[in-house]
Amino acid sequence: MTAPAARRPAYAPMRPAVAQVLGEAADADPALVVLGADGYGLATQVRDRHPRRYIDVGIAEANLVGVASGLARSGRPVVVGTMAPFLVRRAAEQIRNDVCNPGLNVTFLGVGGGVSYGTLGPTHHVPEDLGFFSGLPNTRVFCPTDVVDAAWAVREALAWPGPAYVRLGAREDRVVHPADREFRADGLLLAEPGEALAVATGVGVPVALDAAGLLAGHGVRLGVLALPVVKPFPAERVRELATGLRAVAVVEEHLDSTGITQHTARALVGRWQGAFLPHAVDDSYPPLGDRAELLDHFGITAEAVAACLLASLGRRSEAR
Amino acid sequence: MFANASDELSDAPAALAARARRRLLDLAVSRPVHLGASLSVVDILVAVHRAFGFTPARSADPDRHRLVLSKGHSVWALYCVLAELGMPGLDDPRAGHPLDGTPGVEAATGALGHGLSIGAGLAEAARLDGSDRRTAVVLGDGELNEGSVWEAAMFAAHRRLGNLVAVVDRNTLQQEGPTEQVLALEPLAAKWESFGWRVAEVDGHDCGLLVDTLTRPSAPTDRPTVLVAHTVKGRGVPYMEGEPRFHHLQLTERQHREAVAALDPRPAVAR
Repeated sequence: MTAPAARRPAYAPMRPAVAQVLGEAADADPALVVLGADGYGLATQVRDRHPRRYIDVGIAEANLVGVASGLARSGRPVVVGTMAPFLVRRAAEQIRNDVCNPGLNVTFLGVGGGVSYGTLGPTHHVPEDLGFFSGLPNTRVFCPTDVVDAAWAVREALAWPGPAYVRLGAREDRVVHPADREFRADGLLLAEPGEALAVATGVGVPVALDAAGLLAGHGVRLGVLALPVVKPFPAERVRELATGLRAVAVVEEHLDSTGITQHTARALVGRWQGAFLPHAVDDSYPPLGDRAELLDHFGITAEAVAACLLASLGRRSEAR
Repeated sequence: MFANASDELSDAPAALAARARRRLLDLAVSRPVHLGASLSVVDILVAVHRAFGFTPARSADPDRHRLVLSKGHSVWALYCVLAELGMPGLDDPRAGHPLDGTPGVEAATGALGHGLSIGAGLAEAARLDGSDRRTAVVLGDGELNEGSVWEAAMFAAHRRLGNLVAVVDRNTLQQEGPTEQVLALEPLAAKWESFGWRVAEVDGHDCGLLVDTLTRPSAPTDRPTVLVAHTVKGRGVPYMEGEPRFHHLQLTERQHREAVAALDPRPAVAR
């Protein structure tokens, strides 16, 4: 038996899996066009098998999105894949005016959302990407955790006939989901709550699962609701799960002001009472650090989540 | 027959432009409009629609030629030209910039620097479809301050989008003054040329010449074309021509009477 080895976390990059999904989508739909900006890691299969339907616009994000708009206005589904920080900030106006407002069928894939570019520094961090896209009516927003739900999220985004954004990791992400997991747009309850619930998305999911493991040693059962879909936000489900619980934590690699912290608070305000514990990026620019150091800086770790929950539940913290 | 000759005359691009200008002045009584920039672009819009064989019935054809008005604040001219071409639903427009869903509008614009990229995408789609449909993008000269225009210019040349034509409404004035004082554009034709475009400098008020230029087969066909169309802001109402104060305003009844009286019914014929 090799069971102990299977328990060691596996890590995998999302990009090759997404490249396969896009390749299959292009095989199935002869109208689909994929655009990139001097980076074709997401389009390797489309480029190989359908070279006319992969267009590299160079390092020019505003034009990237404008060209996508023109293609989509001609009735073609379009995928735009590039680095998230530059997509969100340089092409913000084109995304809003030229794609999302008219509700065009464009799927945006943002590589390196949150602070996942780590030591590449603040120019490459974008802890506001989910909030930006969530602020655009007609738009679906996905924040997968690992290679498994990333493939699912891209398929879902392609199936949605309007604009969508999928945040993808910059490098390798911990694999949390079994390959045959069935996903739901209103979230997956990966652990049943006893006293408390963690609402988590992206890298927040393994953090919350680890926190649940730590808390189990203290006799506290932390439920974990994993959200691969950020918008539409499953407010009703969050309210139902929170009912009767003493504490709700939120775990996300995103600004608390515009991410699922805000959505969760809005779902609960006035209808639920208890300790509300956000573990998210606060209103400050990150210091220099790799991704793990930055997550630690903002309290987005299993230890921090467990300690805060124990304190709020009146238990002595031994989690650290 | 005399009647046929008369129909032909009223259908001539210059006559259509004159009627569109009159319609524009009438609209400007009841709402504030970007009057100067709209008057300067009327002849260009008439010419592109004519060159593209625009009819209201064809406006929903997926394989129609496309016109993107990138200088969206001139939408008032577009409304009036489309109405004169028979497009219904444009007698009392409200939106100060093109909106998606408005008859005859290909793309919502108004934030400057977007249209050429959208046009490049429309041109890419035509090529992928194996269609010979063409795309025209009408740009303001002040709009060329936006860096995204030059991203699109580089892209269209690199991709050899010979089915794309840009028309620059070169009226030499932007909101706060002459373009050469705000942010100099010259040598403008050389700039486009250096980006790999086929460049023609034309009289932007000579409808017939514009139609000829837009319909002439282009050689080589794999380069996008730009017409630097020399125009006068406020064109058609002599006392408004070249006057920055007529950039954006609502006309009083008296101003309207004076403008209509001054309106040259055949502005391009003598030139």
